[in-house]
Amino acid sequence: MTRRLFPLVALLVLAASVAGAQTSRWVERTKADVRAGRGSYFDVVDTVLKGEQVEIVRSEARWLSVRTPRAKVGWVFEAALATQPVSGGTSDFLKLAPGDASTSATAASAGAKGLYAEDYARAKGFDYSVVSWIEETQVTAAEMERFISAGRLRGAGDPR
Amino acid sequence: MNALPALLLLFAVALLAGCQSGGAGGLMISLPGPAGQALRAAAGVAPAVPGAFSDIDEPEEIELGRAVSANLGSRYPLLRDRALTRYVTLVGNVVAAESERPDVRYRFAVLDTPEVNAFAAPGGFIFVTRGALAAMRDEATLAGVLAHEVAHVALRHGIDDVKAAKRKHLAVVAVQQGLAQTRVRAFSNLIASAADVVADQVVLKGFSRADESAADRAGIAYAGRVGYDPAGLRDFLRTLGGRSAQDASMTRFFATHPPTGDRLSEVTPLVQAQAGGVRNPERFAAALRGGGQRPAR
Repeated sequence: MTRRLFPLVALLVLAASVAGAQTSRWVERTKADVRAGRGSYFDVVDTVLKGEQVEIVRSEARWLSVRTPRAKVGWVFEAALATQPVSGGTSDFLKLAPGDASTSATAASAGAKGLYAEDYARAKGFDYSVVSWIEETQVTAAEMERFISAGRLRGAGDPR
Repeated sequence: MNALPALLLLFAVALLAGCQSGGAGGLMISLPGPAGQALRAAAGVAPAVPGAFSDIDEPEEIELGRAVSANLGSRYPLLRDRALTRYVTLVGNVVAAESERPDVRYRFAVLDTPEVNAFAAPGGFIFVTRGALAAMRDEATLAGVLAHEVAHVALRHGIDDVKAAKRKHLAVVAVQQGLAQTRVRAFSNLIASAADVVADQVVLKGFSRADESAADRAGIAYAGRVGYDPAGLRDFLRTLGGRSAQDASMTRFFATHPPTGDRLSEVTPLVQAQAGGVRNPERFAAALRGGGQRPAR
């Protein structure tokens, strides 16, 4: 009896793993923002890190709607995800470099706030408020949608 | 025994030795002083770094872009006009959504100079000058120019130079850490070594002719796909082509781009192949008037 059931169980296990592989993806970039819509100007709902597994909800126009390990749902650009498991970890440079940059979380956090570029600007005597002003001057997704509509343009994924 | 110095020395030697096993095309580097000589002697190979550590990830690219932007800001004043900058950002975001990297958070800004030019820095920082805006007639032209600059970022033009700087810096860090055990703020130093190189490339040297052609082709495609008249970039080039090389506002543009006639010959057939699309001259004019500018007639 056991012998006769074995192929069936093996088949079920294989089918389950194939189904899982089709609905899962793994982050292959240092980090990827999960956004509220298909575009980089939408709000970030979560950030996934290299090696994290996400579940695919649906796909549309080069973007994938995913459920993150923290149960958030949003859009990620397809190129940020791999179909096979990916080892976790930060960028090779930050990982290899000793000193202040060796703690990946610290380095990533500092980098996200522009501290290294700010240090560079200060050392060179450049005005870093230029960069801050540019980064502050952003548009919202709602403004983008109004602009696209009023201009008779097509947004990402709109039918041609 | 503290194994760290030995490990770092081993890492440095591995970096140097990597070129022998598949490092073809690896960057040749010159490590400074006796340390470099000692390592080269120990490795018994030419001083080059393998490609395994050459990637620049997005957080690094954005941080570098911030540094390059600060550098650009020291060369040209930023036009701190929120309404005009937001308009440029709206147009830029529309075309960037059709690029190969639509997930990059592109930032757009206007430089307050009569020089006619536009620049792309790593990480999605795009600049257009007040002089360039004044040479445009409508939104499709602005879209064409911004799409060209977005393409430089989306196609990762110039990143090879950054990779080279990174490889060189990694090797130097390994030597410093292994032999002198000095504490090095490694990433900060990478920014310092690469930002000057990239800023010079962006402003003074420009991209290669092949990269410029690729950006022209990609930019026209982005603009056309979102519904702009793809002739915008061609029309901008025509306007510039009619200007004298002696025109002070054009000197740097002509020095950092392929001959305008050659570019027109390449882009004109592409434009003719995908005719149509909107130009939106009215809101372009309104945006420039709001910013105290006047569009070209």
